[in-house]
Amino acid sequence: MGVFETLKKYKWMVPLIEKADRITKSTLLKNFRLKKKNFYPEGEYKADIDNLIKCMLCPNMCRFDCGILQASQSETMSPGYKARIGYYLSIGKIDPTKEENKDFIDLMYKCTNEESCKVWCPFDFSVVSLLETVRDDLNDKGLMPDYCKQQIDKLNKTNTIEDYNIYETYKEKGIDNIETDGNDEVYYYIGCEMMKFPEVVKANIEILKKAGIKFSTNLKKRVCCGGPAFNIRDFETGKKFAGKNKELIKETGAKIVVSDCPGCVLTLTDRYNKAGIDIEVKVVHIVEYINHLISNDKLKFEKEIPEEFKKITIHDPCLISRNLNDTTSIREILNKISGLKIVEPIYNKEYVHCCGWSGTVHWADKEIAIREAYNRVKELKETGANVFLTACPLCELGLGYGIEENEKDKYKILDISELLMKLI
Amino acid sequence: MDFKNFELIYKENRHEIKDKQAIESKLKEIIGENNVSTKDIDILAYTKDTTLLAFNWVIEGKIAGLPDFITWPETVDQISEILKLANKEKIPVIPFAEGSGVVGGAIPIHGGIIVDMKKFNKILDINDKNLTVTAQTGINGMNLERYLNAKGYTAGHIPQSLYISSLGGWIAHRAAGQFSTKYGKIEDIVLGMEIILPQGEIINFKTIPRASTGPQLDKLFIGAEGTLGIVTKATLKIWPYPEKRALISYAFPTIENSFEAISQILRVQIYPGVIRIYDQFETERHFPDVEQAKDKVMVIFVCEGNSKLVDLEESITREKCENNLGVECGEHPVEHWFETRFRVTETSMLPTYKIVFDTLEVASLWENAPVIYHSVLESMDKVKGNLIITAHVSHFYPNGVGIYFSFGGVPPKEKSDLEFYQECWDTTIKAVLDAGGSIAHHHGIGINRSHWMEDEWGKSMKVMRDIKNLLDPNNILNPGKIYVNTWKRGEN
Repeated sequence: MGVFETLKKYKWMVPLIEKADRITKSTLLKNFRLKKKNFYPEGEYKADIDNLIKCMLCPNMCRFDCGILQASQSETMSPGYKARIGYYLSIGKIDPTKEENKDFIDLMYKCTNEESCKVWCPFDFSVVSLLETVRDDLNDKGLMPDYCKQQIDKLNKTNTIEDYNIYETYKEKGIDNIETDGNDEVYYYIGCEMMKFPEVVKANIEILKKAGIKFSTNLKKRVCCGGPAFNIRDFETGKKFAGKNKELIKETGAKIVVSDCPGCVLTLTDRYNKAGIDIEVKVVHIVEYINHLISNDKLKFEKEIPEEFKKITIHDPCLISRNLNDTTSIREILNKISGLKIVEPIYNKEYVHCCGWSGTVHWADKEIAIREAYNRVKELKETGANVFLTACPLCELGLGYGIEENEKDKYKILDISELLMKLI
Repeated sequence: MDFKNFELIYKENRHEIKDKQAIESKLKEIIGENNVSTKDIDILAYTKDTTLLAFNWVIEGKIAGLPDFITWPETVDQISEILKLANKEKIPVIPFAEGSGVVGGAIPIHGGIIVDMKKFNKILDINDKNLTVTAQTGINGMNLERYLNAKGYTAGHIPQSLYISSLGGWIAHRAAGQFSTKYGKIEDIVLGMEIILPQGEIINFKTIPRASTGPQLDKLFIGAEGTLGIVTKATLKIWPYPEKRALISYAFPTIENSFEAISQILRVQIYPGVIRIYDQFETERHFPDVEQAKDKVMVIFVCEGNSKLVDLEESITREKCENNLGVECGEHPVEHWFETRFRVTETSMLPTYKIVFDTLEVASLWENAPVIYHSVLESMDKVKGNLIITAHVSHFYPNGVGIYFSFGGVPPKEKSDLEFYQECWDTTIKAVLDAGGSIAHHHGIGINRSHWMEDEWGKSMKVMRDIKNLLDPNNILNPGKIYVNTWKRGEN
């Protein structure tokens, strides 16, 4: 809420306050004047104190939709409490440098970045956007948790989020590496997490080929987008990756970057921009791009849908539905497939519940992330569909954890491209 | 972390536990290693409820109460065993779910074991034939209601705390929702319950629309605030989701005109889902842009349900409003209410200016309602430091109303925020009692009102205390609430 809205909202109080006695009015004015002195930290800090205070003093109006709270069922994980701890760490009420307070630091990382809180927030922010500013101060004090340091080490050593350079595995996975000639129409930007799902990558390559698109994958030169570093708030590492990617994209000559990972799309656009880096080409998620190809008759469904895929449910990746604000592309594509029955889960589109595998929680507390995945799978199972269709490698990972071992044969997690491959 | 860094508000009569480690081990034996915590990070999370003064304490680094153990049981047998252990060791047990109470009901003022009910969050059955839903009581209200909505139903219980409260909390505090004039209050909605008594015995009240089977013992537990038992499961009435809604608003010259109009509507058995009267201050606060309502009293109505019935209700509602000098203000004020009813921002702003504020609700017969309204406003005007006293009326019966008063001010130099807060509460309640009203409509007693219970109940309070002693002879279930004077009247 801006200053103008705030003043307007409290205008009705003015005549009542005017009636008050001199001492009361003077106390009130003093309290207004001393707000920062009374409640803000001294010295330099990056924490968003204004909004941490708003969040910690809110009655927690988003709590019912916080995936981590619902997974843990502990008040400790409630959004308002996280903001409260962030505030106490920032003002030194809880000393972050003491080993005994490590749990409080860890709490700042127990979020999936799903941003369902933002949907209900009277102030229109997400809790993670506040926690990230607390992480900034912790990093400046050299208090980055070890599980975050390990991710940064991996990025620096392998250029990906794995212990090895996952892009180098393309041959053994049967993925076609298409080198650029510097004059591409599209650069197919494969997420490092998607390299764990080679069938999806192969399907995307075939779809782009079928549509007659001139594109490259440039896998030999690929590096991570740097998203994990931005989540951890290691801007130095993040910017290093942004620079590498900017060069790589420029080399291809492509006017549009199409990625199979919504996390990469968000990083290449929003996160790079906030770090002051503009890669100067349009970046879209592949679902949006495929929808565009179908709408322009560049792709046609020529085959019948196999029996086993005739009934599906959609798991909207929260990064697409809430961060990229696109809940229509996936449905527009699916609605063009004859013989396909879509059973929507109760929580879908912008109200989708997260798979548990976004953000930093799966490093900070894998058990909670798995429970969140389990909760989401339960909701998808309630639809009666055995095929869970999604469009994000993190969701494929998370939902995979959420399916019980003895049900792995019954339920199938499918990327939309894998389904489309069977039809074109 | 050292809790000494946080000023503890309720520190008197804390229950000292001699061997905490031994108790922790026993709790872990009952509910498993991962369902018990004594970690600082968990303890701090359960030190408050949603009492508005607690928000001032949060920013000032104070904590209301300090529990010793946090537990997350998963079965009724586990809760039963925890209670048996607590009786043996004489340790307080405080039921907790979403912590949305605003009268201190879930604050562990003597320390002890928090029994967090959040894992009791399953919807067990929706029965279309009987129009019932059965759910565990730790379920969040919004998660219950939106699940019902998705299946084509509503429970009709929509408190402003819907997003942050639990089914168990509604039952414990005898709650009422914004649509209660049509659907009833929680005691009208609950048809059956499973309850664990203070000494661990599990009892069930079967689901039945009505019975003539002696005194209705089940009602004793609705509003007992977790002092007589822990409700673990409940069956509620549900309704098909309304097919039509009519949004109506009128501005009246005085609050008395609005009372008269609404009384006449209810007298002929028209029950709009929502009726809300805003006094002149609150009308200015919520509807500054509605010209017709300038210096008047706004009333909004929502009629909902079957289309034909809604049309009839709308027509009669309009007729009664116009007969009582109401001026039509259109749908916009009601739409504004729908848009903003869950957008609470005051708690986030006012404590940063050290403003102490709250809302408290009281009940009255029609004949006393205008007197209560005016006398509370007059009395609160005299409280030194108080800046604001306003009212709205949001719960209605053919026989009377529930009135909400909101106050806000800055404590004078000689008073702490708690002392000022208590003075505002006590002043309001005294004015209400003097004018023939009841001290609470639907938030319950908790800590804030317990010292007025003798005035409210008279000699019946002894019977209540006898019942408490009978069921909970060791006084382990949520002590310091309802039956004792945690706040000392007149001493603050």
